[in-house]
Amino acid sequence: MLIKRKSGEAARTKHQAVAAGLASGVLDRRAFLRKSGLTAGALAAAGTTQLGSVRKAKAAGSSAVGPDTVIKKNVCTHCSVGCTVTAEVVNGVWVGQEPSWASPINRGTHCAKGAAIRELVSSDRRLKYPMKLEGGQWKRISWDQAYEEIGDKLIQIREKNGADSVYWLGSAKFTNEASYLMRKFAALWGTNSIDHQARICHSTTVAGVANTWGYGAQTNSYNDIRNAKTMIILGGNPAEAHPVSLQHVLSGKEINRANMIVIDPRFTRTAAHATEYVRIRSGTDIPVVWGILWHIFQNGWEDKEFIAQRVYAMDDVRKEVAKWTPDEVERVSGVPGEQLKRVAEKFAKEKPATLIWCMGATQHTVGTANVRALCILCLATGNVGKPGTGANIFRGHTNVQGATDLGLDVTSLPLYYGLVEGGWRHWARVWEVEYEWLQSRFDEVPAAAGRKARTRKENMEAPGITSTRWFDAVNLPPEQIDQKSPVKAFMVFGHGGNTVTRMPEAIEGMNKLELLVVADPHPTTFAALDARQDNTYLLPICTSLEMDGSRTASNRSIQWGEQVVKPAFESKNDYEVLYKLAQKLGFADKLCKNIKIVDGVPEAEDILREINRGGWSTGYCGQSPERLKAHMRNQHKFDLVTLRAPKDDPEVGGDYYGLPWPCWGKPEIRHPGSAILYNTNLHVKEGGGTFRARFGTERNGQTLLAEDSFSRGSDLTDGYPEFTFGVFKKLGWDRDLTPEELATILKIGGEKPDTVSWATDLSGGIQRVCLEHGVSPFGNGKARANAWNLPDPVPVHREPVYSPRPDLVAKYPTRPDERQLRMPNIGFSVQKSVVDRGVAKEFPIILTSGRLVEYEGGGEETRSNPWLAELQQDMFVEINTGDAAERGIKDGQFVWVTGPENASKAKVKALVTDRVGKGVAFMPFHFSGWYQGKDMRDYYPKGTDPVVLGESVNTVTTYGFDPVTGMQETKCTLCQIKAA
Amino acid sequence: MARMKFLCDADRCIECNACVTACKNEHEVPWGINRRRVVTLNDGKPGERSVSMACMHCTDAPCAAVCPVNCFYTTADAVVLHSKDICIGCGYCFYACPFGAPQYPRVGNFGSRGKMDKCTYCSGGPEPDFSTAEYEKYGSNRLAEGKLPLCAEMCSTKALLAGDGEMIAEIYKQRVIKRGYGSGAWGWKTAYRETVAI
Amino acid sequence: MRRVTTLFSTLLVAAMLVAAPAAFAPVQAQNPIQADGQNPMGARPTADSVNEELLFKQESKIRGRISIPDGKAANLIQPQGREYQNFRERWLPWIGALAILGMVAALGAFFLFRGRIMMEHSQESGKKILRFNAFERFTHWMTAVCFIILSLSGLNYIFGKRLLMPLIGPDAFGALSQWAKYSHVYLAWPFMLGVAFMFVVWVRDNIPSKVDWAWIKAGGGFIGKGHPHAGRFNAGQKGVFWMVAGFGAAMGATGLMMLFPFALLDINGMQVMQVIHSLIGIVFIAGILAHIYIGTLGMEGAYDAMGSGKVDLAWARAHHDLWVEKEQARTGSGPQLKGHPAPAE
Repeated sequence: MLIKRKSGEAARTKHQAVAAGLASGVLDRRAFLRKSGLTAGALAAAGTTQLGSVRKAKAAGSSAVGPDTVIKKNVCTHCSVGCTVTAEVVNGVWVGQEPSWASPINRGTHCAKGAAIRELVSSDRRLKYPMKLEGGQWKRISWDQAYEEIGDKLIQIREKNGADSVYWLGSAKFTNEASYLMRKFAALWGTNSIDHQARICHSTTVAGVANTWGYGAQTNSYNDIRNAKTMIILGGNPAEAHPVSLQHVLSGKEINRANMIVIDPRFTRTAAHATEYVRIRSGTDIPVVWGILWHIFQNGWEDKEFIAQRVYAMDDVRKEVAKWTPDEVERVSGVPGEQLKRVAEKFAKEKPATLIWCMGATQHTVGTANVRALCILCLATGNVGKPGTGANIFRGHTNVQGATDLGLDVTSLPLYYGLVEGGWRHWARVWEVEYEWLQSRFDEVPAAAGRKARTRKENMEAPGITSTRWFDAVNLPPEQIDQKSPVKAFMVFGHGGNTVTRMPEAIEGMNKLELLVVADPHPTTFAALDARQDNTYLLPICTSLEMDGSRTASNRSIQWGEQVVKPAFESKNDYEVLYKLAQKLGFADKLCKNIKIVDGVPEAEDILREINRGGWSTGYCGQSPERLKAHMRNQHKFDLVTLRAPKDDPEVGGDYYGLPWPCWGKPEIRHPGSAILYNTNLHVKEGGGTFRARFGTERNGQTLLAEDSFSRGSDLTDGYPEFTFGVFKKLGWDRDLTPEELATILKIGGEKPDTVSWATDLSGGIQRVCLEHGVSPFGNGKARANAWNLPDPVPVHREPVYSPRPDLVAKYPTRPDERQLRMPNIGFSVQKSVVDRGVAKEFPIILTSGRLVEYEGGGEETRSNPWLAELQQDMFVEINTGDAAERGIKDGQFVWVTGPENASKAKVKALVTDRVGKGVAFMPFHFSGWYQGKDMRDYYPKGTDPVVLGESVNTVTTYGFDPVTGMQETKCTLCQIKAA
Repeated sequence: MARMKFLCDADRCIECNACVTACKNEHEVPWGINRRRVVTLNDGKPGERSVSMACMHCTDAPCAAVCPVNCFYTTADAVVLHSKDICIGCGYCFYACPFGAPQYPRVGNFGSRGKMDKCTYCSGGPEPDFSTAEYEKYGSNRLAEGKLPLCAEMCSTKALLAGDGEMIAEIYKQRVIKRGYGSGAWGWKTAYRETVAI
Repeated sequence: MRRVTTLFSTLLVAAMLVAAPAAFAPVQAQNPIQADGQNPMGARPTADSVNEELLFKQESKIRGRISIPDGKAANLIQPQGREYQNFRERWLPWIGALAILGMVAALGAFFLFRGRIMMEHSQESGKKILRFNAFERFTHWMTAVCFIILSLSGLNYIFGKRLLMPLIGPDAFGALSQWAKYSHVYLAWPFMLGVAFMFVVWVRDNIPSKVDWAWIKAGGGFIGKGHPHAGRFNAGQKGVFWMVAGFGAAMGATGLMMLFPFALLDINGMQVMQVIHSLIGIVFIAGILAHIYIGTLGMEGAYDAMGSGKVDLAWARAHHDLWVEKEQARTGSGPQLKGHPAPAE
């Protein structure tokens, strides 16, 4: 890393040694390694397992000439930090990985997963060809047969039960282009029930943050944390979930001697490096945040100027916070007032301070409210919109930010265009598809159970069913499900089956489906359960390293990943599968009307160009494939802290790395992207901005526009609304538009050209002119401390549905039963019953869940990687030393963890540790393949079973959904543990 | 010539295990052999630290001393390597190693050990540099390519340092001065009979 | 298994061979900073982190938690390896050389001083008596052959690189050592079996008695004239028997620990086993050298007992008078030239 023994490249490298073996035509790399001294002594015979793979064997004999090593760059798929992966490819075989020194994000480094990612592609445990289940047996089929049969069934189900009876699930592992293509696919199919992993990780963040200041994303960047003097990490364990981010966090901590405060129920690997650790009771984030704010307001440590200029209705928050005296906070959360006072003082006074959170904050029935409270803490202390501050939200997968942006979401169209007529018409224009035709694709919903009927248009504008409830949408009586028919078919792309809570009910739902299609590099949990006998298909999709496309990291930087090697075995990429399926379903011409098809596969670059043409609302318009590729070529030119390239660089001069959105206007105007959102200290052209004026201009007599605050160099020196052609005319800025731009605006506007806005102007003229005048196209508003459109406009504490403190439920009940997102949410009734039945006595241990560094998500691909699997060979439950002693449980022994619903139970190993406090247990969520004590290995198609199997934590998790996004409760339920 | 050493800055190490899998990736180390590992001390308690450990390439290496067949040798870079052709898998080096570095594949009856395997500091073995034989037996030879061990190069938080002993000690020293604390260069006293004086 | 472990502990303490106080010490490190359960507030993880010095004060090695199943990987630093190295490389070669060469020298001196002990003739000379039956001889020779190969291959672990390697070069030496290792590992089994058989067959005749004391006082007949009384085995032979049984068991047990490394023991246990194995091995080899001397070169007629199994009656009468009487009383006849071999019992 630091010193080289000798400079310059050696004449030959190891890869040539490898290549010599490959070229000899006798052996592939793995086979000849197997002979090595590593696996067997020269004199000793050793039986080794056969791990040959089809593609590599072929590649082995393909060249007799001394082959060259080709370097390919892609992006690691295992979290949202966006580490560049540098692959060395010889003869089409990925033979080695080198550190990606040039990347300003990971600077050569990786975590366990990134450093082992080569095996993800080379793995022979991948799904190799399409398969179908016939009478409980897996059978190999051809792709053509798969498209035919799946297509016929889909058409048949659609005719009988309507478009909404097919549930579409996309993936955070998709590229931006695949995400967009699949969202468009669902729109053309005629449903809004299209979702992905963001639902279960940061949907509440997106909702909470967007409702506060405009956009649902990390405001700053990983690198920017180096500027912070105080950082609070609440409900996050980046040391395990985002290890490379810790490089920046710990550097910041060292360089600035920064305070690093970790607030978590669990003493995590992150907490081990904190300067202060606050242990809270799971599910009491709002009391803790309000407890911090109580001290801030009490002592006048808030940033009064910032609040006056840029925050709406902070006084409403003061009223709520006043209730959270240190005594009450300690009673509810267990955190002593003195400690919170210390935290409060540091966060408010030792600035810049940043707030980092993760799924510990979001995965709750109060997820959105938690996020809102955290945003308000930033706002009250003025810690937004400057270097070293902000809401640094660490997201989970490579492209969970991008997939969210591009609309794999039941509540929006690509790039957060709402499911309203304006949004649909905007995309209809971009797609060059008739709006009326799109409308005709949607179901008419008949009246039921006292609910009114919905027309096609109304249904088109009604949010779909969330992925957390897909099985409820199969299992519940039809009249309870607010659509034409319950879900009959489930199309899963790149999504695990063990990621939803209440697994026993999910399995019941699987059982009832008329069609289940899993398109994934691995069979996933869906294939490993005994729920189904027929009508189940597995489609081998290549990994994202085997395809071109862009990915948006958590910090909104977009990185172009190039195909490292051709898809292994018979696997195909998402573009091709979606396109072929659309062909079968009859709308391929519309899906790819303006997208180039190369050898039957839609071209990633061309999909991105279409995104650019329509992505005005979020500033996805300036990141052309050419610009993104230039960034990958010039990675080394970007600054480590600011992420900016020197202005004089010919290719990427002045750009922020990855053109973090919003990157305004057309690519040609070369907006640099926005490394820090809402930063008024920079000109908009330099990536500066204001809070988005998204919620109107005035409410209850108070202005919603900023006062005396504007971004540097702005022509308007006060708040202003978002820009439309009408506003332009008033300002006289319409004269700055070119004739072509004007023509486009008038064409779009038709009879009402004044309504054409910065977000719907396909010419980009409005944005271009805005930049010239130094204003944010989306206006200059105030962030909202009171978000009146949310169920709890000012966050209030609500006990978890399965509260370990029944005594607090009366005072802090969960929200009343309500219908949300087409489904009933009966959390209140469940909570009442839990208290009435005394469940907390029978199940006295709080169960929380989280991530391990070695695995990711549902864990299927990482558990199939022996380099990773070796490091975590057993599913476990962390149990406190005291709890274990009381139960006679020893470290490493098997225990039963039982849950309070469905008589659920899970057999796991005990990990006795003080990481968890007394009365708390923790289980990682990556395991599956065991179900309630039964090993399901035989249910996998032969040879595709992951190396390590284990119980899924979600077998024992319970009911509870966020009212805004349908987020499931995974971080706080109850359980009992006994020796097995 | 440089005197190559490893230094794990435990105040940066977060037990992400990148070093472990980077090693597996670079050398295709089979299941059950762990040339590098991360140990967490005081797990779950305040003061917890994790340390990545592999062969430290000791000064006056005990493994080399106790080897009954003298299969060890020290390179000009002070990297301790061994010859798998000479090794008999007796296990003595494991008994002598203060860091638990030697690993033995199980190859025969009653747990009998195959030829010893350990961290090579990514610098191969006695065979010619970049030869197939070297790669088969010991993995790749990064040092000869002018590169350093991949574990250190890929360390997520740059906790694990590799390179000339004096230079990495200096880097560590600077860090400790900057941040005001340091839990020390783990294993240095045992391996190199010196510590990093701050 | 537990008994085995206990035996080792006893052996360890009794022998006091090396300073390895931590070998069986409690494994759980005490924590420098106590967490107060729910909310370790005020604890400053950064400032109060564990460090090497502190941990070494609590225990002689540093252990932690690891997720892979290989428990020994949880040891981070175990400086006892240096002590083991010191023993093995600095002391063991000298101890070995001194013990073995010392014994050779002693035997040489004895030979010079006493010469070969010759058979005394009487009227019974020429008549034979069966001393060891076929099974006994098979057992003896199986064990003996194994022992010799085990000794040589064992000594190779200590002296091979010092003596042999410079002569034949590293490659040949490596190959040879590999075979030596395999023979050491595989022949350990018949050796252990042989020791067990010998114990069962001969233990009855090796229980010490008053006669032995008289035999020792009389110097065993090596010094001066005349033969003290002796049963089937004289005190010297009994000594060899118990040495073989005891050392054999110890070598077997410590060897098994090394054949199944870490099955029962941790790293320090393994070091101790290795130390015990090598020290006993050396003493064992020295002892057996004496046994070989007296059974072959040192005494005329002794070899026949294990050679043909039949010894000259006069020799038997001289050296094992009580046994001959008992044997004749039992069979009620003179010298046995034919008939059933004595049962092994």
